[in-house]
Amino acid sequence: MAAPPLTLGRLVWTVARDVNRTVGGGLASMELLRRAYERAGWLTPAEHALLVAVSRLTPGTNILAYCTALGWLRYRGLGALLALLASSVPATVVVATLSAALVRVDEYPLVQTLLAVAMLVGSALILSTAWSLLRPFLLTSRRVWALALMAIGLALAVAGVTPVRVLLIAAVLGALTPVPVPGPARPETPP
Amino acid sequence: MSLLTLYLLLLKATVTSFSGLGSLPQIRQDLVVTAHVLTDEQLSHAVLIGRSTPGPMGAYVVSAGFLASGWAGAAVGWLALVTPALAVIPLLVAVRRWHHQPRVRSAVDALVVAGGALLLPAGYQLALDALRQLAKVVG
Repeated sequence: MAAPPLTLGRLVWTVARDVNRTVGGGLASMELLRRAYERAGWLTPAEHALLVAVSRLTPGTNILAYCTALGWLRYRGLGALLALLASSVPATVVVATLSAALVRVDEYPLVQTLLAVAMLVGSALILSTAWSLLRPFLLTSRRVWALALMAIGLALAVAGVTPVRVLLIAAVLGALTPVPVPGPARPETPP
Repeated sequence: MSLLTLYLLLLKATVTSFSGLGSLPQIRQDLVVTAHVLTDEQLSHAVLIGRSTPGPMGAYVVSAGFLASGWAGAAVGWLALVTPALAVIPLLVAVRRWHHQPRVRSAVDALVVAGGALLLPAGYQLALDALRQLAKVVG
């Protein structure tokens, strides 16, 4: 059975659900969104890769930029605004309430255990995201090019270069080494 | 400190960082060291709340805003948190407009590959932190 279309309501609900249930950063949330959206046919792997790339180049919190871009991709300004609200308001309410109550939920052993398990799940999701981004390149003729870029990126990161600088250096290297053969599937041309 | 000043200081921190906790040094400098509207202990408290609740890790900025100026400060913190995300729209439009150019496509592909590579140490570090925390609780 075909998945239902991505309505504005579904966009808001899925973003609010998947962004506000992970601990350990937005990268795990991106993976949850990718899985849900690709399974429903609402997002192609190439579109997801593009969203990850531009959101990591955007100042501020990556997952908020990812959701804003996702909303823009499907519903332009209204989608971007609602996706941004859906991704940020629930967590904001929780954080502000805990701040007001001066509560530290991580003081309790049970909460610490649950947080650690949630972080482990988050790390698995992050590694899964990495594989989903790298796989289209590692399984094609661009394998050597991709491995070289990965090695350079990791070496720069280990040397203490900030992620955004690593990405900018990678972009420059990529622009200097264009390949005429088609790579992985591309996002469709915008309407 | 006025709410506008608080917003601008928090925005300065969020707009010049590229990850959730990347804004922390700037916020500490402006709100703890220079303006004295927060203490180091309060800022640590804000970070702990942000880290131990589901959602974007950058949401600790909301807590910092709250501890500096109450509920209005929390609203200002939220505004400073979400404002930079809007910059993704012109970036996305520009990338999609020029995506048919081989050099731009290759640059975007390189971004994707490097971004994927950078996730490996991030995932490894998070797993390590989780295992350390588990060992601490169990031990």
